[in-house]
This record gives sequence, C-alpha cells and structure tokens, in this order.
Amino acid sequence: MTALIWAIAAMSVALAVGIFLLVRNKDGARQTAKPEVRKPELFDFELAREIDFPAPESPREAVVELPRKYGRDRLVLMARDPYWLYAYWEVSAARQDVFSEQFGPAAWPAFRPMLRVYDITGVDKFNGGNAQSYVDIPVSAEADSWHIEVGQADRTFCVDLGRVLPTGEFVTLLRSNVATTPRATISDRLDEEWMWLEDVYRSLTRMHTGVSSPLLIEEMRERMGVAPLGISSPEFIARREEDN
Amino acid sequence: MAKGYLALVLHAHLPYVRHPEHAYSLEERWLYEAITETYIPLIWLLERLLRDHVPFKLTVSLSPTLMSMLADDFLQHRYLAHLDKMLELGEREVRRTRDTPFHDTARMYRDRLHGARDTFVRRYDRNLVRAFKGFLESGHVEVITSAATHGYLPLMMVHGEAVRAQVETGVRTFRKHFGRNPAGLWLPECSYTAGLDEILKEYGLRYFFTDTHGLLFASHRPRFGIFAPVFCPSGVAAFGRDLESSKQVWSVQEGYPGDYNYREYYRDIGFDLDFDYIKPYIHPTGLRVNTGFKYYRITGKTNHKEPYVQEWGRNTADAHAGNFMFNREHQVHYLARVMERPPLIVAPYDAELFGHWWFEGPYWLESLMRKIAHDQDTVELITPSGYLRHFPCNQVVTPCSSSWGNKGYHEVWLNRSNDWIYRHLHWAAEQMIALAREYPQAEGVQRRALNQAARELLLAQASDWAFIMATETMVEYAVRRTKTHLLNFKGLWHQIREDRLEPYWLEELENQNNLFDDLDYSVYAGAESAISKP
Repeated sequence: MTALIWAIAAMSVALAVGIFLLVRNKDGARQTAKPEVRKPELFDFELAREIDFPAPESPREAVVELPRKYGRDRLVLMARDPYWLYAYWEVSAARQDVFSEQFGPAAWPAFRPMLRVYDITGVDKFNGGNAQSYVDIPVSAEADSWHIEVGQADRTFCVDLGRVLPTGEFVTLLRSNVATTPRATISDRLDEEWMWLEDVYRSLTRMHTGVSSPLLIEEMRERMGVAPLGISSPEFIARREEDN
Repeated sequence: MAKGYLALVLHAHLPYVRHPEHAYSLEERWLYEAITETYIPLIWLLERLLRDHVPFKLTVSLSPTLMSMLADDFLQHRYLAHLDKMLELGEREVRRTRDTPFHDTARMYRDRLHGARDTFVRRYDRNLVRAFKGFLESGHVEVITSAATHGYLPLMMVHGEAVRAQVETGVRTFRKHFGRNPAGLWLPECSYTAGLDEILKEYGLRYFFTDTHGLLFASHRPRFGIFAPVFCPSGVAAFGRDLESSKQVWSVQEGYPGDYNYREYYRDIGFDLDFDYIKPYIHPTGLRVNTGFKYYRITGKTNHKEPYVQEWGRNTADAHAGNFMFNREHQVHYLARVMERPPLIVAPYDAELFGHWWFEGPYWLESLMRKIAHDQDTVELITPSGYLRHFPCNQVVTPCSSSWGNKGYHEVWLNRSNDWIYRHLHWAAEQMIALAREYPQAEGVQRRALNQAARELLLAQASDWAFIMATETMVEYAVRRTKTHLLNFKGLWHQIREDRLEPYWLEELENQNNLFDDLDYSVYAGAESAISKP
C-alpha cells in the first residue's frame, strides 16, 4: 500500500517530465536567449500610463544590464530535482584561443559543441575515464546554459562541455562540479537498530490517499490566484505552465 | 503525561523592502499590512495567553530581514504614518457605514487600528521585536530565525562560504535583538541539501525543519517516519512537516479558511469604493490597492457576498480549532499505539497567512492553544528544543534534498523564468570570497566597502526574488532588485580592486541598504568565525 502512493507521486512527476520533454524540443533554441528579461521598461511604462494625477515620486530609473560574460571559465552543475540537472557555463576567450591554437583557427566555429553527462555514482575520484556511463547532448553554439534530463534520482553526475572533432573525438573544454539528484522514493536501506515501523507509514497512506504537499500547493493556486503580500509561501505558489 | 506532542511553528518573513528613495513604495506596504494584520494580532494573542497563564508552547521564526525592518527607525516612522492614515480612514468608514449592515465591522477595524497604534507606540516603543523578546523570555515561545536574507541555500552550496555568510549573519542579527543564540534555524523555503547541517552545527544551531519527504526519503528509512526528528550525521536534528495538519488548514476541499462564514479577502474598499472617496488612501498615482477594510464574508462559491458577521467568524474559528485538535488527538491515539515513544506532529506555517489572508487565523490559533491546554490530555504542545530534551537519542540519517515548494524540490527557484540569476549570483559569491581572502584586515572606508559588498550580495540572494519571478506577479520588481544589488556589488568590487573608492556612493548605499550593521565580511574568507559559539 505504501508503494502505491509513491508510485502515484512518481507517475505525476514522470508525467510532468514528459510534458517538459515535449515542449523542450520545440524550444531548445530559445532557452539560451531567455535570460534577457527586459521588464523594467514595461514597469515604467505602466506607471506612466496611470499618471493622470501629479506623481510625487520620480519614475524609477532603468537598471543597467548585467554583463553577459565575466571573462572566466566556468561550468556549474546544479541538481534541480530527482530527474533534472541544470548547467550553465562560460568559455573564456583565453580558453577558446588555446583550442584554436591546438586545432586551427577554423576549428572553433566548425566543431560541434557537446555536453557529456557522466554518471559517476559511487566513483571515488572521477578522472574523465572512470564513469559508470555517459550521455552526449549536442548543444547550440550560442547556448550558455542547459536543462538536462537525466531521469535518475539519487545518482551523482559530472558534466563536460566540449567540442566534437570531425573524427568523432570529444575534446573537453570545461569540467563541472559534481551534483547528486535527490531521492524520489522511500529508501530501501533499513537501519537494524531503528527498524522502520510499517504501521507508522501505513497511517500516512491511509490519511493522505496520495496527496503530496506539492499537490496541495497546486490546489491553493487554483483557489487563490495571485499571492497576497507577495510572500513566498508554498501554499501560494502560482504554478507556471510547464516551461512554455 | 500526554500521549503525543504537537509542535506549532510560525515562520514570519518578508524580503527587505525599504525605499527611502521613493516618497511612496508599494512594496513597503507588504510590511505595513503584515504588521497590522499579522504581527500585531499575533502579539495580542500571545499576550492574552500569557496573561491568562495558559500553558502553551509555540515556535516562531523571525527572519533576519524582517527583524531588521521592524527595528528600523525609518520604516517605523513610515509605518506610523501609514497607520494614522488608516485610522483616519477608519473613522470615516465608521461614519459612512452608519445604519448599514457593515457598521459593526467598520467599528471593529477602527478599534483594531487604535489597538495596533497603542501596541506599536506605547507598549513596544515602535519596535515590535521587543515583544518577541518578552515572549522568548517567558519560556512559552521559542523564537528562532532564518538565513540572513532568506537565501535559497541548496542552490548556493557551490560556494560553502556564501552559505556560511547567510547563516552567520542570520545568527548575528538574532543575537543583536535577543541577546542569545537561536536554538535552531528555519531553512528558507524548508530547503535542505546534504552538508547544510554541517554549517548549522558550526553556529551551535541544533535543528531545522524539512518538508515531509525530506525525512521520508532520507538515506535510511526513518523508523518513525515524520513523527520523530532524525539526526543528520553532524548531529543537527531535522524535523519533518506533517502533511495532514498542513492540509487541514490550507486545502481547498478540507481547509478551514474557505469557510463561508470567514471574511472574504478579495473584497476590499480600496477596489470597491468610489474613487474620489478612497483616493487619499490608495497609491498616489491613483492605482487601487488593498486597504484592509473588507466587509463581506465568503458566503459561497459565487460572486454574491453577504456582510461579514464577526461573531459567526469567531464561532467558526472555535469550531475549526476544536476540529483540528480532535484530528490531532485521533492521529496521536493511532500513532501512540504503534510507536514506543510519544509521536511528535510538526505543523509549520507561514505566519503571514494568519490574519492577512485568513483573517480569523490568529483567533483560531489562540482558540486551539487554549483548547489543547484545557479540554483534553492526549496532545501536548512542545517546541523542538523541548522535544530534544525529552528524547535526546534519535536515529541518524541524511535527509533528502528537498524544499516545501511546488513539486517538493528546487524547481520553483530554478526554472526557465529565473535560472539566469545563478551565473551572476555565483560569480558575485566567488568574487566576495576572493575579496575577503585578499583583504583580510581591511579598515576604514575599505572595510565599509567590503561589508557593503557583502550586504549587496546577501540582498541579491534572497529567495523571494527567484520565487516572484516564478509566480509571474511583481516580476519587474524582483528582476530589478536582483540586478540592482548585483550591480551595486559589481561596482564596489571594481572600486575595491582598483583602489578608487567613492565614499559618497558608498554612503548612499549604506543608507539605502542599511541592514545587518554588525555584519563581518571576513566570514567569506572561510576562516573560523569571530562570533562566539556555544
């Protein structure tokens, strides 16, 4: 019976992931361009539109944009949930020069960029060659971040950003930190001194019939719409339509 | 002796919204509304329980940004001006509603505003943190705090020093106001990831809260599920949220606040009344906003609303408190039969939901605590510290990386609407660490610049901004705040690096973003902390 509720929870997550996947293909190219959120102007405009009355405060000055690049080599990996990772990166001009010296000036634009996602669960010191397995994800040349579906909870990953040579060889440019996806189920590891009490777990299923806290939150969103006070309570979260 | 325990936990937090640069700030109103509708009513109910010698226990988390705002002269001054304006409206409303079914409600609001003014000015000399200091000292309320600006710590863990700075600054702020260390820490958004507990341990923090699955999905299956805390490998305790008690309060189908007798949140005279009448009490540009004067009860599912009747609201809240208690008794009876120690039910809520959203919420809470004290002996209220004193021996597991946000993990704070912030936040954290290491003994203006850089970084890290971007309301403000603090950081970073500090600009920033006056940037160097640890 316990298994049932976790199965339901897992299915709903799987469904969400499925939807995510469907839209993701369509909008793969877009995901890199999106950081430029240019809403401040909109805000000013909206204020200005209302000015039928003398406004004592000066309109808020526009914020200067943040830099697109910081001139540093970086590849940072974060675990978003049991099934998804997020990576962002920046390849410095210096690193690019080193690559061009090695493979010729035409190589940089010609060779396809690729993310190599290594499953390094249980690997003590990852050296590039001792991963459990890896998956390659081609990325666009302009991309500087990626949401990566790994579909595996409780596994440890490391990512390389590289370029694929015409020979098929993968050349690593940057290596990420290590990230572990969270668990999505009750653990199978039992503790002899603290053996689990099945009746305690039964009470959870009996009472909740498969309602997880995130579902509760979505119920609230439907009822409330806009969050009063703009507070960050989970009960008030307005769920975004999944990434579209 | 009770068969089981209930730990009620309220987490009070608002992001730092202080805008002396504007004559009128919509965002500051969040604070004013929360003070009038949540914090002061909470203070009243705690005062009444203490006055009546009710044996209760409650845990209240006050975030460091909230404490800083409550203790800030400028905001106190502005709140008082706001309150006086609302009092003026209250008097007008009492006159306007004479001989209508709304008159009693208008008088109730006016009287509450007078009471709020009295509490604010006379009783606590404008600083409401003092009220909570008294509650803490009473032994009935365990006051704790959160990370400095409510930063989303799991997504900050690539730089452990940045997390340490959030925790240390939170602890420092608490010590400044309460004269002692907090017993535990409210992890912002209940978000946990392995390793956070190690940092909490460094500051003598003994516990935190996670969502239900934070415990249920731990590395080893917890013997008692969520009905007892576990110890992380560091020895810091994790308490898991009970789903059933959350659901009862907030669920659409079964939740209390949707009862037809309760006050309707969405009918406010700020939107409903004639423009010329309400104009002086809304945004100076004429933008209609909530005033807190709401005269209807929920009535039903349609737009048809009937006048609010305070007595009915109160009676319903009493009934709901009785129902909540009955359900906890029921839960405890069952669990006590299958566990060899008294079960603990942990029920954490956002404080701002009580009073502001659910108008009768504070009264419900008071009624509940009175009933638990007088009407039964199955369930006893307890604080996390109290529980750990009774049961110092607990299972050791590593909780699951999780949060109480939608879907239970980190997606709310890391999705396509807000993922762009992390490359900037991480860069700034990395640079702050480098600065702290390269300028270990800074003095004078340079020291102030380093501290202000740390302050700007902390402010940029507030989980509220990423959350607001994800909810698609007030997005412009959240984006602006993130960018502004990051650009302030970057400007200071350039000036420190290039040794060309501009004292006037620094002073401007210090005046504008003036919280955490005893912050110490050297925490970013990763060295042993300067503040004493128990």
